[in-house]
Amino acid sequence: MANVTNKYPGESRWKGWLYLLPALLVYLLFTFLPILETIRSSFFQWDGFSQNKVWIGLANYAELFTDPKFHNALRNNLIFVIFYSIIPIMIGLFLASLLSRRPIPGFAFFRTALFLPQVISMVVVGVIWRWMFNPIFGPINTFLRQIGLDSLAISWLGDFTWALPAVGSIGTWVQYGFCMVLFLAGMQHIQDEYYEAASLDGANAFRQFIHITVPGLRSEIAVALVTTIIAALRVFDLVYTTTRGGPGESTMVTGFLIYRAAFTNNRIGYAAAIATVLTVIILIISLFIRRFQRQGIEENA
Amino acid sequence: MKKRSIFLSLSLALMILLSACAKPASPTDQTPITGTDEQVLLVWDQFYRDEESKVIETLNAEFEAANPGVRIQREVKVLADLQTTVKLALANTDGPDVAQVNQGRNDMGALVEAGLLLPLNSYLEKYDWGTVFSTSVASRNSFTEDGKTFGSGNLYGVSPTAEVVGVFYNKDLFKKNGWDVPTTFEDFEALLAEIKAADITPISFGSLDGWNAIHEYSAIQHLLVSLDYINNLTYAVNNVSFDTPENRQAAQILQDWSNAGYFSDGFPGIGYDDSNNLFKAGNGAMTITGSWLAPELMVGTDQEFGFFLLPPYAGKTGLAIGGVGIPFAIRKTSTKQELAAEYLNWMISPRAAELWDEAGMLPAMALPEGSKIDTKNLFGDTLNAWNTINQGNAVGHYIDWATPTFYDTLVAELQKLLGGISTPANFTEAVEADYSAYLQSQSK
Repeated sequence: MANVTNKYPGESRWKGWLYLLPALLVYLLFTFLPILETIRSSFFQWDGFSQNKVWIGLANYAELFTDPKFHNALRNNLIFVIFYSIIPIMIGLFLASLLSRRPIPGFAFFRTALFLPQVISMVVVGVIWRWMFNPIFGPINTFLRQIGLDSLAISWLGDFTWALPAVGSIGTWVQYGFCMVLFLAGMQHIQDEYYEAASLDGANAFRQFIHITVPGLRSEIAVALVTTIIAALRVFDLVYTTTRGGPGESTMVTGFLIYRAAFTNNRIGYAAAIATVLTVIILIISLFIRRFQRQGIEENA
Repeated sequence: MKKRSIFLSLSLALMILLSACAKPASPTDQTPITGTDEQVLLVWDQFYRDEESKVIETLNAEFEAANPGVRIQREVKVLADLQTTVKLALANTDGPDVAQVNQGRNDMGALVEAGLLLPLNSYLEKYDWGTVFSTSVASRNSFTEDGKTFGSGNLYGVSPTAEVVGVFYNKDLFKKNGWDVPTTFEDFEALLAEIKAADITPISFGSLDGWNAIHEYSAIQHLLVSLDYINNLTYAVNNVSFDTPENRQAAQILQDWSNAGYFSDGFPGIGYDDSNNLFKAGNGAMTITGSWLAPELMVGTDQEFGFFLLPPYAGKTGLAIGGVGIPFAIRKTSTKQELAAEYLNWMISPRAAELWDEAGMLPAMALPEGSKIDTKNLFGDTLNAWNTINQGNAVGHYIDWATPTFYDTLVAELQKLLGGISTPANFTEAVEADYSAYLQSQSK
């Protein structure tokens, strides 16, 4: 093997590394070193600006694991996975199979319109939906009252039961378009013969969907899972612009705890510890999904 | 072998890059440009709204005119931006010479503890600031040198503006329905019921943003507690408790108001600005917030508004939440401390008071003799309210200063109280848990 790789045509190998160097340096400087610095900070008690940086070992982590606020935030993050990941993937699968199986007039329009939420900045999304959910003049409650469902016109973002699903559903609105476009692209690789054969065998559209479309999109589903779950676990901007973690702590997420610890409570070390734990959780979940994806490919082959 | 050389060249390139980066970051201390005697004073403030910004621009221009060779380089930020960036900036030797630093432990306290702010005691004497503001005002901008004890020790900032929390009311609605401005708390509560019976929202309010719920609660609390108590609580001295009958009673009143429907429908889902806009549009008879809202209520509306202090219980006196605005402070490592102090003195001069008055904001300083400002309007109401509590020694506090986490705790617990998922006793106990934990950590 080693002999073969050295005999690629063209320039010798070290020059190839040279081409990588600029990107590699940027990556090292702006991604890798900050990550290392964050992990290092998590072992200190530090306010973020003074010279007074005290090594406290694992004390931040010990505090973190017994902090009910962190448990609550992590639980909310996991609930966000349902809204950011599971539901958008299901909607995306449904819409993609609807749009791809037969030619629909205005296909490009639907594809663009449904993808649009993904393009808008999350801060703008938050501001828009805060207005949508406004109990007095928001369109949602105005509509509900018009059709006579006054009892459903509740204070969405301020309700202890409904605030979390309300904020979560904004995430669904943002993510499903991305999933749909991803699945649309993936479906082009599924050969039409499979569907033809299946319909000859008498399989209806639903069975074709379950037995051909879904297995054929395994890789795309894995990609969608990884990106949307990561989005659910590190959500911050949406909560910041809508509820700020309230009412009470009912929409508090780990991302907001990090912000609060670092920028209002001057506890950089503690914030870094939360960030580190969150990163580890995200890494584990990503690796797990990749394994699931590989297994699937092996099974298919 | 190859691999090794790659690694070497890579790390070499990295080192070169790093050293190149490091150079310009080293302190470039501002020596005046040779040839001219121009001195540049770098100032960070958070007066970003149009009216406010004009006041600062005018003051800066007049300061430059009075001090030839001095140029003020101004940087304006909104408060949240200022708070997150000013600490690091003040730790740099090329940071701002003068900056607005928010009061409280997380901001001014943390900066004092880190030794980044200049104590102003000598200038207090030099400029005779004792005649400009009272000791009660000075203590809001004071910390002990270790940054641990709030409200005493050195002076670290001077505040140009003042604030008082009270009740804005819609004069047109009041006139139309024959309601009078209440003079006792009993009358106030009766009025709330009367307004509700007329099918009008008594108090326009939204707790989605959280922080203003603290004012709603604490305004009532200030009618029930003594000045000593609120001082002790806020400065976290003399071991007081939050779990007191008075604090519990205030929580009970707030929850009763919520249950009686005295606040805007769906208030937990309404933001602060939205609730103010609704009020400004004539939706709701009153709203409880700070005097800073007055300029906004004086333009762009056909409604006429007034302001009064939340009235005390019959036969008693009450406090009001109030204080001075975000103070200007001086960076300890500034090379232009004398000039910076001169600037601070100018920001709290009678001229500054006049300009703030014209802009409809309460100045922390007295107006110059014979200045003619129209006070027969909403602004006049807030000015009278401030004078009343300032002269009557009834200026209370923003209680969220008490501990570094008090703000977050109060907001979360008040939302629970207002949402009816906790009782007044749960509320005071939960807040006391935060408070006593802080006192304990301080005494260690």
